[in-house]
Amino acid sequence: MTSFIPENPVPIEARPTVFCLHALGSSAREFDGIAARLADDVDVVGLDLPGFGDLSAADGVTVDEMVAYVVRRIRSHGATRWMILGHSMGGKIASIVASRVLSGDAPLFGLAGVVLLAGSPPVPEPMDEERREQMLAWTDEGGLDDDAAREFVDANTGSPLPDDELRAALTDLRRTSREAWRAWLQRGSREDWSEQVGTLDVPVLIVSGGADGDLGPENQQRLNGAVYTRPRFLTLDGAGHLLPLERTDEVAEAIRAFWFGEAGRSPVIPTDWSRLVASPRVQPRTRGILARRALADNPRYKPRVLSARHIITLRAVAARVVPQQGVPIDLATRIDGELADGKGDGWRSKELPSDIEAYLIALDALDGLENLADAEQDDVLASLAADDGPGLGSMTQAAANAWFEDVRAALVRTWLAHPATMARIGFDGFANGSSGRDLFGYQLLAAGEREAWEPTLKESK
Amino acid sequence: MNLTGMRHYSDDEVVDVVVVGTGAGGAPLTATLAARGLSVVALEAGPNFDPVDYTGDETEAVEINWMSERISGGADPTAFGQNNSGRGVGGSMLHWGAFAPRPGEADIRLKRDSGLGEDWDVDYEELKGYLGQVEHFIGVSGPSDYPWDPGRSYRYPAPRRNASSDMMIRGCQAVGITATDAPAALVTHDHHQEEFGLRHACANCGNCHQGCRNSSKAGTDNTYLPLAVKAGAEIRAESMVHGIELDARGRVSAVVYRKDGVDRRQRCAQLVLSAGGVETPRLLLHTGIANSSGQVGRNFMVHGATQVWGRFDTDMRGHRGYPSSIISEDMMRPNDADFAGGYLIQSLGVMPLTYATTLTRGAGLWGQALVDAMDDYRYMAGVGINGECLPADRNRLELSDELDEFGIPKAVISFTAGPNEKALDKHATERMSAIVEAAGGKDLQVLARTAHTVGTARMGADRERNVVDPDGRSHDVPNLWISDNSTFASSLIANPAITIMAMSLRTADRMLAA
Ligand SMILES: Cc1cc2nc3c(=O)[nH]c(=O)nc-3n(C[C@H](O)[C@H](O)[C@H](O)COP(=O)(O)OP(=O)(O)OC[C@H]3O[C@@H](n4cnc5c(N)ncnc54)[C@H](O)[C@@H]3O)c2cc1C
Ligand code: SF4
Repeated sequence: MTSFIPENPVPIEARPTVFCLHALGSSAREFDGIAARLADDVDVVGLDLPGFGDLSAADGVTVDEMVAYVVRRIRSHGATRWMILGHSMGGKIASIVASRVLSGDAPLFGLAGVVLLAGSPPVPEPMDEERREQMLAWTDEGGLDDDAAREFVDANTGSPLPDDELRAALTDLRRTSREAWRAWLQRGSREDWSEQVGTLDVPVLIVSGGADGDLGPENQQRLNGAVYTRPRFLTLDGAGHLLPLERTDEVAEAIRAFWFGEAGRSPVIPTDWSRLVASPRVQPRTRGILARRALADNPRYKPRVLSARHIITLRAVAARVVPQQGVPIDLATRIDGELADGKGDGWRSKELPSDIEAYLIALDALDGLENLADAEQDDVLASLAADDGPGLGSMTQAAANAWFEDVRAALVRTWLAHPATMARIGFDGFANGSSGRDLFGYQLLAAGEREAWEPTLKESK
Repeated sequence: MNLTGMRHYSDDEVVDVVVVGTGAGGAPLTATLAARGLSVVALEAGPNFDPVDYTGDETEAVEINWMSERISGGADPTAFGQNNSGRGVGGSMLHWGAFAPRPGEADIRLKRDSGLGEDWDVDYEELKGYLGQVEHFIGVSGPSDYPWDPGRSYRYPAPRRNASSDMMIRGCQAVGITATDAPAALVTHDHHQEEFGLRHACANCGNCHQGCRNSSKAGTDNTYLPLAVKAGAEIRAESMVHGIELDARGRVSAVVYRKDGVDRRQRCAQLVLSAGGVETPRLLLHTGIANSSGQVGRNFMVHGATQVWGRFDTDMRGHRGYPSSIISEDMMRPNDADFAGGYLIQSLGVMPLTYATTLTRGAGLWGQALVDAMDDYRYMAGVGINGECLPADRNRLELSDELDEFGIPKAVISFTAGPNEKALDKHATERMSAIVEAAGGKDLQVLARTAHTVGTARMGADRERNVVDPDGRSHDVPNLWISDNSTFASSLIANPAITIMAMSLRTADRMLAA
């Protein structure tokens, strides 16, 4: 595991919002404890789902309707750098919302991470059928009564809850609408959304209680672990299912560490630019591309064609060819991914061996570059561009010229493709609309003219 | 494009014509032959796209480019990929710039006038007639008064000017060069296209090179191909031709292509290669056909496409609007030239990744200088050229011993600019610098670049020196024709696409007459 440029702390203006979706029979209130503990670093916004907490069931109690409701709430909140957290039932909804943001279909932008607390997976939730029948039977006549509520809490906790937490949990259960309760048990929990969700590259923290039943550590690995390509797992030994109530301190701390150590480690995109990406001026497909590209690089990235040493060397080359301030985009691992996917630029110089071979030879020859002083690193790189020189490893000088040209182009393109860089250079051409009457294009084309929808730019140059 | 209701032919049926490639060279001919009742199958290596799905994102937009690797040699290696070739139903016109100047008569008579290069064995008036047909049918917009060809008219008014257009007009006025709105193959008004439907008026979105999501820009997929399908032609996408079979008499009997991982054989009475200036000669060299002259792959030419950029005090933001809306033909044959031929000047709009690539490849920038140059992106505006290139023996396409994913040897293309190209480039760089400076540009940046791939299967009457005859028919194989930019005898200074289309209509008529 390589440590990822730790000298660049996540800046304070990057303070995120985390939207929290509660479990069956609970409400936004279950996140109050976490909110208090994270108040210095994160805005925690709990949402009541339709039919739970203070909210009537009128907005709809199917998974699809709950997803749409959550998308509307996040949109009206206006956050542009955010995570989504789902506890149990809320986990399934969180994963579906995340997939719609990353595909660009939802009018949202700025998703940086997902947190699942004993989260229900996109596939049908494993649930003992007898238990399901029993929980449904509690609502045969009306809402849950006090006995049913107590039995539910007992069955879902690893150890008794503090009194005030217990009282609040019981109140939430008793005010749950019968319609919402039954919709989840009869339908929502059984729906298979795995095809729509696909696999998600977003940073994710998957927390489970060691003493939980069907949504415990094993099923989290197996079911949610299959959805997310870069999961971080955390098991809280002895905890049951009601993690935000049972283990408030540990859950809050885990979220903080996840933000600062992974999800938050990406360049900050100015708010007005993020809102623009979320707006109808951006075609959904393009929005999705930008959303995926804006995600933090994976600090545990496993190089696919280069070695860990090569990555370090390539990071050094990147830092000289395209110097970045703040949290840098990890251009080196992004290029490794492109090489592995065979995404070349359609040609190569006759002087060079295949793309991958050239990188391997060049980076071997440049090994240790990061240990030189900046000016010396520049001298080494400048020698690659010179007409005369000793070449690079087994490559001739002409090949060194060609490789350095290729790597420069790859680095600068990868840097520019990031929406934070687009904002930096004032490029809003991605916001020209979709197609047909919705291909907005530009009305004002002359020098110095800007349209009202365009984000502000710094005047200095 | 919409292919519902399209007719299908079986592999075993001997169709009248197989066309390989659906770009500028393949499509007009496919439509013409089908309209005359011939059974035509157009095999296209790339996929069939729905234009509304194109993304303006430069990284992802390469899905419409030919990205399979080519190898570049010579002192001035050509950049391929995004720079010059398309892949998909519609060919390179999916992502072309739609800059649509017409070649003048002098353009195809370079040798007559200068003693250098080659002349085209083509009657200019005839070519002009076909050019007019193409322009009218695909919908070219342009100025009502064309200074270098009085009386020429275009179907719709010219595209709107953007900041670099205003800059170029201003600069040209100051240095005494005539410049005006460029002919552009896009519709500036909503336009009903026969057998296609509505093509929306250009929205000035600036994404021409990433694919026009509104079909405002003309491609073959929104003009000739719908006509071809209506007339009974089949367009078979994702079908990569890698073999050509001859019968005992040395005539083409079938092509072998791979679709869905399976090799199939389409039988045909005639074969037209329209795979473009790299893929057509590669296929011929690979199959060893039609090369008794030894000229297949020879005379590879690229247009000089050097750009000069300047930094301005106000935001120019050249990603807005149609990218190249101003033209000057004043340098068609400059009086003070110490070279043969000439060049066109155009205004430039550019997307950031493309611009940065040219900065680092063409001007060698890296480090803080590169980042600073990109921070200045919004203040930059520039002009560029399309310049003559003489055919030369050293510039050619050959096969390497590396195979591609279809088992065809990769192409090695060598290009080294000669004295004529260098002298022209110097002249053009001085003129362009004067224009940009006169318009108020500072800190000029000269970016070396080339564009287009022409030559490689030359057309001409002399069978010793040319691959196809003046009709486009192989000198060696009587039922093999070539219709694409590989047949160009000289590079022309007019950008190639509408000429390729005009020549495609002409070849179709010759095939019908044969
Ligand atoms: C970025 C860019 C901008 C341009 N801008 C302009 C401009 O503004 N004005 C202008 O006039 N010209 C422009 N051009 C050039 C113009 O687009 C081309 O010259 C023209 O399209 C070439 O036509 P063609 O028929 O020869 O080849 P193409 O249009 O490239 O068509 C060849 C087709 O054949 C297919 N093919 C290749 N091999 C096989 C095979 N073995 N089997 C099956 N199918 C195959 C390819 O997939 C492709 O679809 C531009 C080109 C580029 C790349
Ligand atoms: S600028 Fe006009 S022609 Fe070009 S892609 Fe946009 S709408 Fe199409």
